Amino acid sequence: MNRHGVMLTAGFAVWASAFVLLYAMLSVGCRFGWHEMAFAGTSLQRVQLAVILLVHVAAGAAIVWMLGGQGNRADGTAIFMRRAGYAAALAALASTLFSFGGVFFLSTCH
Amino acid sequence: MTDKPPMDSPIRLHKQLAAIWDTPPGWGRLSAVNHTILGKRFMIAAFVFFAIGGLLAMLIRVQIATSGTAFVGPDVYAQIFTMHGTVMMFLFAIPMFEGLAIYLLPKILGTRDLAFPRLTAYGFWCYVFGGSILIVAMLAGVAPNSGWFMYTPLSSSTYTPGINADVWLLGITFVEISAMSAAIEITVSILKLRAPHMSIERMPIMAWYLLITALMMLFGFPPLILGSILLELERAFDLPFFDPTRGGDSLLWQHLFWLFGHPEVYIIFLPAAGAVSMMIPTFARHELVGYRSVIVAVIAVAFLSFGLWVHHMFTVGIPHLALAFFSAASGLVAIPTAVQIFAWIATLAQGRPRYDVPMLYLGGFFVIFILGGLTGVMLAMVPFNWQAHDTHFVVAHLHYVLVGGFVFPMMAAIYYWLPHMTGRLSDHRLSVPAFWLIFGGFNVTFFLMHLTGLLGMPRRVATYPAEAGWDWLNLLSSVGSFLMTIGFALFVMDLVVQVRFGKPFRRNPWHARTLEWAMPTPPPSYAFASLPKVTDRADRIDADSEAAALAAGRGYLGQARNGWQEILDVDMSSGRPLAIVVLPRRTYKPLVSGLLTGCFVLCLLFKFYWLSLLFLAFAIASLLAWSAGTGLKEDMGDLPIGHGEMAPTHWESDRPPSWWAMALACSADATLYASLLFGALFLWLVAPGWPPETVAGPAIAPVIVAAIAVVLAAMAGRRAVSALQQQVAPKLWLLTAGLAQLVASLAFGFMAAQVPEPTSHAQQATLFVILAYGGIRAAIGVLLAGFGLWRNHAGYLSARRSLDLRIGRIWHDYSCATGIVGLMAAMLLAYLAGNVEAPR
Repeated sequence: MNRHGVMLTAGFAVWASAFVLLYAMLSVGCRFGWHEMAFAGTSLQRVQLAVILLVHVAAGAAIVWMLGGQGNRADGTAIFMRRAGYAAALAALASTLFSFGGVFFLSTCH
Repeated sequence: MTDKPPMDSPIRLHKQLAAIWDTPPGWGRLSAVNHTILGKRFMIAAFVFFAIGGLLAMLIRVQIATSGTAFVGPDVYAQIFTMHGTVMMFLFAIPMFEGLAIYLLPKILGTRDLAFPRLTAYGFWCYVFGGSILIVAMLAGVAPNSGWFMYTPLSSSTYTPGINADVWLLGITFVEISAMSAAIEITVSILKLRAPHMSIERMPIMAWYLLITALMMLFGFPPLILGSILLELERAFDLPFFDPTRGGDSLLWQHLFWLFGHPEVYIIFLPAAGAVSMMIPTFARHELVGYRSVIVAVIAVAFLSFGLWVHHMFTVGIPHLALAFFSAASGLVAIPTAVQIFAWIATLAQGRPRYDVPMLYLGGFFVIFILGGLTGVMLAMVPFNWQAHDTHFVVAHLHYVLVGGFVFPMMAAIYYWLPHMTGRLSDHRLSVPAFWLIFGGFNVTFFLMHLTGLLGMPRRVATYPAEAGWDWLNLLSSVGSFLMTIGFALFVMDLVVQVRFGKPFRRNPWHARTLEWAMPTPPPSYAFASLPKVTDRADRIDADSEAAALAAGRGYLGQARNGWQEILDVDMSSGRPLAIVVLPRRTYKPLVSGLLTGCFVLCLLFKFYWLSLLFLAFAIASLLAWSAGTGLKEDMGDLPIGHGEMAPTHWESDRPPSWWAMALACSADATLYASLLFGALFLWLVAPGWPPETVAGPAIAPVIVAAIAVVLAAMAGRRAVSALQQQVAPKLWLLTAGLAQLVASLAFGFMAAQVPEPTSHAQQATLFVILAYGGIRAAIGVLLAGFGLWRNHAGYLSARRSLDLRIGRIWHDYSCATGIVGLMAAMLLAYLAGNVEAPR
């Protein structure tokens, strides 16, 4: 069950991690004025938020890719959980992009 | 159902099982631990509180029916609306769902009871006593009056100097004991106590809903409990967590409250949606369409619901990008909710629906909940939210969501499952007019409230001027609310008529295909005379033929043995039987523990702090006394369970329900502790008045002592288990673990006592709480080590029977990990406060 539980929730766990880190680091960056520090053609604030988001998108995509495989086709429970986990991971990946895509273009600290 | 029938006849088996499982009449009823009895008691108590909350709603509507009303003054009005929200959210909605879950869950899972019957009873008493404190306070005129979400600084002692806010903080925390215990019990029962071979993908859909809801409660309620503790500490001992003049921040309360508060909406909705998912297939005469998609949708709702709490705080001045995160999540959550609604519609479209009264109420649910969802999406959009914030539009929205998403499905569920509880059917003469009065009255009341809100009427105002132009809308709303009340009165009368005079039926009146109908109705105390072997999805059961076979004892555990209340522990994924769980029988101990806990809470409320410590000790001792007489004093080995299979008792198995319960309790506590650390960092980063004039930090010597002690305790706890399993006496290791935890507790206590003036600044106050909390956890470790020593001395332990020590080991490991984290956090916070000054 532990393995199956991880399958079901891995995608949204990545979404949750992205949420916590982005919200926390946004607050830290705004407090320390990172949005006013130029870095790589934009602000340090935007760069660090974008990196956090991209790392999580990559992790979410990796989970989708892993769960998209065949797995153990003899075990009905495993097949069910893998397919459910795959759908959940896809939904989580889309949610990650939709929820946090604003880090690329919205003003960060106003 | 192919096993050889046992020697006993169904009637003899019934008598034998009833002798073991039944609760005696008279005063003996107070000893009940049976899920059927307690589930009904929870629901009846919740209905009583619902009636009280409804009465308060009527008073609200009288007060604001017209402009300039002098029905009650602003002080009383504040108590009324605060108590209305508090009663409906904490004393009706959550306990009502708990009651339904407690009653139904073992039955739909094909087992005889929940994992921890005494915990169910203890939760019930905590709920009733805690709720009673609130109601008595209201009758005495000292009810909470700061709004049901108790925003600081209004609820702080400066602006609410009486005990009103303390009643809320202590009473609700007391009630939350019941919610947390139910969450652990529901989770463990679903994962571990299903019918044999009911693999996880065969579970009835409601079990999925309840599992996910219970997990949400485990991680959603701790922030509220922490917030309540911190606010009570501030009010009682002047520790300034929320006081901006001393480094605190009232926004911390809002974060902690809504981190619980918004998932709470889904915690209320999801069980109701689970009930909907059980009823619609029955009336559609078609199994649920999109079973797997619905599970994925519920998981998505569960996660997303934890990422949108700030939409309650859109106007407090948070950066726009953060608002975008929460706005997006708030809008997104509508998608998985819609997936469920489309699945229900598709089930109806695919089947051959037949009408009955539960379907009428489900129709009301569809209309009202969808409207509430749409206004929810409107409020998720920041610009609209800013316009409608704190107006009656929000009041209308939340009532559409909660009444539509919970009350209407629950009324449908009552009509659906009341025949199961009573063995009688309704003639439905009152249920239809009751529905139309409730449905019509509700919409008149709350649809118009959208308009009053858009016209600018704020929430919680006791009166308004005639020039505002809100009179006729408010008057119509009040008329609608009284129509709705008449409808609810008819509904109650209909239930009474059904219970007293309903037509008896033999079995399964709805032709449902789930396991709760594969038993006599009303159900016997043991639910199933023998446990079913589930080889297909649990919503494809032929309940009638299954019931006869199970009553004849042709399933698992179809016998009475040793006077034991037996159920089966199964593998979480496959449902393969692993162990026989022997449940505790009826006892007054939960009642005694509940009373002592209540005395502890009352002592805190009336500020008898030294006396409260005495009652706390009594309460803990009474809880420990639950274990007296439970367990085995000799190894039993594997025992027959039916179908030619054998299994050990749970005391001799690897990871029975109690092991998982401890693991889950640690997870909930870790959430609370993480919230505390988050709060400390939040204050450093955001709160005004930092850095403090004097930065406090723990001295290095006690830090080292505490760290070594918690590590030593964890190692000794582990060695005690391995020694026992190698047939070596674990006494020395248990003593070591206990002494190490004692040293750790003293070291943490010493460090907390050394914090200079915790009332002077939030930095000192948070440091004090972080360290004191570490000491409390270590003290619990002392108790658990002592408990292990006693169980060993009393002969309950052997190489095979090491469960008690393995449960203790979880705690020692957990308190070690969190102790180290706490020490590091204490030093980090001191460093940040003293050396890293954030620009403000």
